Amino acid sequence: MLIVDTLGQKCPAPLIATKRALKECDAGDSFQVITDNKTSFDNVCRYLRDNKTEYTCLASDSTWTITVRKVEAEVISSPAEDYCLTEIPHFRKGDYIIAFSSDTMGEGDEVLGRKLMLNFIKSVRDLDDLPGSMVFYNRGVMLGIEGSETSDNLNFISQMGVKLFFCATCIEHYRPGKINGAAILSNMFEIAQAMASSSNVIKP
Amino acid sequence: MKVDLLEMTESGGCSAKIPPSKLDEILSYLPLPVDPNILVGIDTHDDAGVYRVNDDLALVFTTDFFPPVCSDPYEFGQIAAANSISDVYAMGATPVIALNIMMFPSARLPLEAYASILRGGSDMAAEAGLRIIGGHTIEDYPPKYGLAVIGYVNPGRIITNSAAEPGDLLILTKPVGTGVILAAQRMKMAADEDVSEAKRLMKSLNRSAAEVMKTQGVKAATDITGFGLAGHALRMARAGNVTLKLDLSCLPLIGDTYRLVDDGCIPGASFRNLDFVEKDAGFSPDLDYNLKMIAMDAQTSGGILMCVKPDSALSALDDLKAAGMTASAIIGSVTAREEKHLILSD
Repeated sequence: MLIVDTLGQKCPAPLIATKRALKECDAGDSFQVITDNKTSFDNVCRYLRDNKTEYTCLASDSTWTITVRKVEAEVISSPAEDYCLTEIPHFRKGDYIIAFSSDTMGEGDEVLGRKLMLNFIKSVRDLDDLPGSMVFYNRGVMLGIEGSETSDNLNFISQMGVKLFFCATCIEHYRPGKINGAAILSNMFEIAQAMASSSNVIKP
Repeated sequence: MKVDLLEMTESGGCSAKIPPSKLDEILSYLPLPVDPNILVGIDTHDDAGVYRVNDDLALVFTTDFFPPVCSDPYEFGQIAAANSISDVYAMGATPVIALNIMMFPSARLPLEAYASILRGGSDMAAEAGLRIIGGHTIEDYPPKYGLAVIGYVNPGRIITNSAAEPGDLLILTKPVGTGVILAAQRMKMAADEDVSEAKRLMKSLNRSAAEVMKTQGVKAATDITGFGLAGHALRMARAGNVTLKLDLSCLPLIGDTYRLVDDGCIPGASFRNLDFVEKDAGFSPDLDYNLKMIAMDAQTSGGILMCVKPDSALSALDDLKAAGMTASAIIGSVTAREEKHLILSD
């Protein structure tokens, strides 16, 4: 796969390089953009999202890798790719996933619901068996807003090797601002596949 | 020693501003001073503050300073000064006195560069009929320069960013694209003639625009700087509780700005401005992405966006062109408040 190395470069150089690669490659091709600048990472993602280009992200210590796939017209189903994050083998994973369809837990008072959801996410960190992955759709994507307490905890969970799939359509709809860099922007096929291939789906 | 100021900075000019959404939040925590003589204060995010001295005189007070936007110290001084004075013109006032504000790394740059920056500022001030009567310098890297300017205005003739009225047409007096061109220059993608054109525009005072506003009886205007055309238009719409509709296909652009944006040369500041604008803006469904991002482009020493009554719009346009602002164009209109304060289409 073509690697667009923009290490050490600042805005707008990584975006220019991404745009050039997009222009030069054929439909169906993928390439990776590597950057060590958080702002450039955010801006490239924002650009791809705005232009409805399919991409996934991978964050490690201080570099970000964006895998871009040039698609024609309709979205081609992309298998949940095997990007291991900084996976730490020490953490055991169970055969279940967690689906977040809202930013509150349960029905009733909203303030209480938010508090409960934060506590739930905090508790996931301490489970003996971590979930295989976590998917976020509808208002569930709000849990990933960068800088929020839920997002900080999700970041921690992602560093333990749990993939966080965020529904890109939902982010597009709510436009909640910056989303945690650990989030993998995903489509409904990927989310459906993650839910279908797991024995248990937990919905808090 | 040949000095290249651009080697010292990543985001020069008004791109170096704090993100507008953060600034608004910080300002909301500050107490608003209460004084009946404050005619324009912090609350409307206008270009300058205005203080009434007596029935015939109010002081317009503003400051701006930023890191280098070009390699040459003298030109940097000129551009920074023109940009600082612009806020006074945007309020319909006449600049009178100013102070230099300078941050300069004396261990890393020759003092000739320091002198050149000040000389550039001083020459620009002279062109504006403005007296620089003092200043202050501290050691800092990279260098930064600007002015604090005081202007005179009759309290009854202040032009604010809050007086836009439904039915007004919007005229922009300078083409847009300084942020894109300057970023492209760093990337060695910009044509020399586009860079010179951008520099010429940044050095040109908004004085004739202010004079046209006075003769045409304009009540509402703002100058376009770091928050981009869309950011400043949105502030104007909020301050006046109206909606501004911009037709970006009419937008005058500097040289190859559009092609550069199409190649991905979108400065980081544009994304910051987009974050600020989009909550309160509507975009037409097929809006060209490049034009949308050009509307977010941070301008340094940009033009004046003025609200003109429809029956005087064409004569205002003629006056501006006759005064040398040849790119002036009608780029939109003001309507009664709609759900969104700003609508961008093409």
